[in-house]
Amino acid sequence: MLCGIDVGGTHTDAVLIGPEGVVACAKLRTDHDDLLASIREALASIASVAGPGAVSRLNLSTTLSTNAIVEGTADPVGAFVSGGPGIDPEAYRLGEHYFVLPGAIDHRGRETAGLDLAAARSALRACREAGVKVHAAVTKFSTRRPEQELALRQLLAPESDCVSLGHEFSGRLGFGRRIATAYFNSAVWRVYNRFCDAVEQSVRELGIAPDILSVLKADGGTMPLSVSRALPVQSILSGPAASVMGIIAVCDIAEDSVILDIGGTTTDIAVFAAGAPLIENEGIAIAGRPTLVRALRTRSIGVGGDSAISVSREAVRVGPRRLGPPMALGGPVPTLVDALNLQNVIAVGDPRLSFAGMAALGAPHGFEADEVAEAAIINAVNQIRSEVAAFVREINDRPVYTIFDLLEGRQVRPTRVYVMGGPALALSALLQDAFSEEVVVPESFAVANAIGAALARPTFSVELFADTAAGRLTIPSLGVARTVAGNFSPAAAEGEAATRLRDYLASIGADLGEAPIETVELSSFPMVEGQAQVGHNIRVACQVRPGVLAAYKQAVSQSC
Amino acid sequence: MLKARHPLGIVFFPAFDWAITPTHPERQERLLYTQDQLREEGVFDIAGITELKPDLATAEDVARVHFCFPDVAAVTTASHLVSAGGAMRAARTVLDKEAQKAFALVRPPGHHAMKVVHGARGFCNINIEAVMLEWLRERYGPMRVAIVDTDCHHGDGTQDVYWHDPDTLFISLHQDGRTLYPGTGYPYEMGGPRALGATVNVPLPPGTSDEGFLFALREVVLPLIEDFKPDLVINSAGQDNHFSDPITEMAFSAQGYAKLTELLDADIAVLEGGYAIQGALPYVNLGLVLSMAGLDYSHVREPNFDPAAVRQSAKVTGYIEEVCREITALARNPKGPGKGDVINGWFTRRKTLYYDTDAITEYQTESVRLCDHCRGVLKFETESTRNPLCLGVEAPIGACEKCVEEAYRIYEAGQIKGEYRHLQLIDRVGKNYASFTG
Repeated sequence: MLCGIDVGGTHTDAVLIGPEGVVACAKLRTDHDDLLASIREALASIASVAGPGAVSRLNLSTTLSTNAIVEGTADPVGAFVSGGPGIDPEAYRLGEHYFVLPGAIDHRGRETAGLDLAAARSALRACREAGVKVHAAVTKFSTRRPEQELALRQLLAPESDCVSLGHEFSGRLGFGRRIATAYFNSAVWRVYNRFCDAVEQSVRELGIAPDILSVLKADGGTMPLSVSRALPVQSILSGPAASVMGIIAVCDIAEDSVILDIGGTTTDIAVFAAGAPLIENEGIAIAGRPTLVRALRTRSIGVGGDSAISVSREAVRVGPRRLGPPMALGGPVPTLVDALNLQNVIAVGDPRLSFAGMAALGAPHGFEADEVAEAAIINAVNQIRSEVAAFVREINDRPVYTIFDLLEGRQVRPTRVYVMGGPALALSALLQDAFSEEVVVPESFAVANAIGAALARPTFSVELFADTAAGRLTIPSLGVARTVAGNFSPAAAEGEAATRLRDYLASIGADLGEAPIETVELSSFPMVEGQAQVGHNIRVACQVRPGVLAAYKQAVSQSC
Repeated sequence: MLKARHPLGIVFFPAFDWAITPTHPERQERLLYTQDQLREEGVFDIAGITELKPDLATAEDVARVHFCFPDVAAVTTASHLVSAGGAMRAARTVLDKEAQKAFALVRPPGHHAMKVVHGARGFCNINIEAVMLEWLRERYGPMRVAIVDTDCHHGDGTQDVYWHDPDTLFISLHQDGRTLYPGTGYPYEMGGPRALGATVNVPLPPGTSDEGFLFALREVVLPLIEDFKPDLVINSAGQDNHFSDPITEMAFSAQGYAKLTELLDADIAVLEGGYAIQGALPYVNLGLVLSMAGLDYSHVREPNFDPAAVRQSAKVTGYIEEVCREITALARNPKGPGKGDVINGWFTRRKTLYYDTDAITEYQTESVRLCDHCRGVLKFETESTRNPLCLGVEAPIGACEKCVEEAYRIYEAGQIKGEYRHLQLIDRVGKNYASFTG
């Protein structure tokens, strides 16, 4: 059976799923100072119901890496960066041990200036003196020519616990993103690996021996824990993805739809096109820095159950700030939950406290408590509705680069809105009034995130770049860099990308039947010099799209 | 993290599925490396820089500017409507104050497309700046606009479209027409009788480098713009003055382009030519983008750039100084209206035009009514190796009642007489764009 654990900001949810459906579930408060304790407790609770032997697969979603970065408990990183012409690499500086080295590679992957290894050696000395033990090496256009980064690894490896090379995370372009990705990867490497050690030990101690032990990624896919040890940054910000994958599992989504996850502080919005979640074009931002970490495309607004209500002469507004729990639960100011309490949509804590707070808020402006509550709920619903509209508009307005896509490009037109999270049921009727789309609240939304974690399957993507005029081919995220013949064709390129992706997935133990490979980009540009065609510039991107294990999906799905 | 000092909208549309022919300079590959460079540099991640999707220009947007014979559909493809629509999107962004500036990095280009269109000349079918600008004027009302064309080739199409428009100052900096296509753009070309001085040509000798361009900009262009007091400045940002461009002989650099962009301070830039797609465009476009956004561009340079190797000679410097002095004097005291005859209150000039891209020859008679109340109704009688005799009549923006009447009279009389195959009417006062095939 499959076990999923989602360590969230407030709760840790766990679920065990068998061929017949959910066998066991648990919901605990997350202990922020000891995430491992939360996981152990959740696992123990599952094991006590079904026995430790029942767990054949364990998927974890954790905020550990995110917390380490946000709370500043990550390691200092020695960043070795080479930019060449363009934006000053200082613009992407991270941390105190950031060294810009002379050297340059151009857009076609030609080395236009050699890397200054003497400068790198003196930077390494500075790292040594400062006690810096993890490193990141990133050069501009390293996805086209990884050699300079590889040379830096050779130099750094003898003195480093972890050297993260930019090109190994993605074949997509974005020098600044590549720097941040490699940097954060090294920064959380130590804390993440300690955590992995502890998780593995706990699993053993509880007598659980899963065939597969994986972590969830921000794109809603999984990767084996053993693989993630070298790429911990990929485990970051997987929380929202767990919820989205949960909805996919619980509801059989086939159409264009919108997912709303209404939490305590925010409402997260995700969009599905033809039943598949949309993925960020570039990557997610971590601590305000854009990276190349693939993530589901979501948007957040500061409207949640605990969002504070403010009243002015003109308007009643919910959020974006959270100043504490609802007054009904002893909080300092009235929140959306208090408003729903007052309207008798829910019954949380002490409704008298909700009433008193709302009355006090409205009094200076001559509003009754009821009026404030009603206006607040309407405001919350309207904010959500207009944000959804803006998000869908933005998706449909995304830039395209061919005339065909501009004229014929597919537009997303949602027909359903799935709502989950604490206040979901309470707001569903009002949301139905606000949306012209059908509003659906799945029943087992309470642990949908853990279900999503349990049923998520591996994802991976590769980008292939071939320049037949230069005779070079690279697949950066698989470390492939080889020569290529002049007659290499787009079809051959697509075949190679797919085969290498398939081989990689097999090597990490993924069930290939569960991981359909699709080509998301295939372009080939004739390269001309003078009047003659000298080769082709070929770009291929293949991926395994996020999805849930089909065999178990039926067991948990319900009519939504 | 970087933040744009001037919020900038970029319409990036490389038309990756469109080429004139497979090995033509206007081919799929043209903006590929520029896209790679901009994406690798993270330009679209900079706070305040937004990537925008082009609008699609309509046939009416084209018919508001051009007389297309036999019709708009016959001389355009979707690529041209997207390219013009990209420029429109950029302009809308600025006028609606969504951004302070905008750059339409689009292809195909447009500045060789003239008022009358029988096909493609100099890789251009329709004038994307003119389609953009006239759409702006129709949507946002009249405005005084300066168009500065920094493409290496004379912007003869834009010059032709605005020849009789005193509210559009057109300044072209280009390689001397005696040495390069299209062979025009001399200082004595200064505009029609009612718009004399609103066309300014600055021919520069082959070998002109950063120094010469920036001198001409400071000495001629900026003072003229200051005098003109435009509501809007548009840069036709061709990039073929680059020292590595394969079809021109100038010596401008990415640093020079970025500096020129900073000094010119245009509200809207629209890409025109530029065919050193690997060695120049990625760096020039990056320089332009950073410069427009008010960001540091000092590290942007071509990998093989050696300023000393491409610096202009002292002879070139001396020549440019002299030409600029002459042009400034002429612009302040324009003599004109140049070649043409006054017949019965109309000023008429005859043109023979060659469309190099489509191998068409056109014979055209352009007449403007010398009206004391407005800029006067315009009449074009044109035939080409593609079309028999056709007629185009325009009542321009601000045309007086008499001129509007006259435009309709000529258009209707032409239909009755039956000597024209295709007739087209542009009525900017009544916003009526009509056509008739005899």
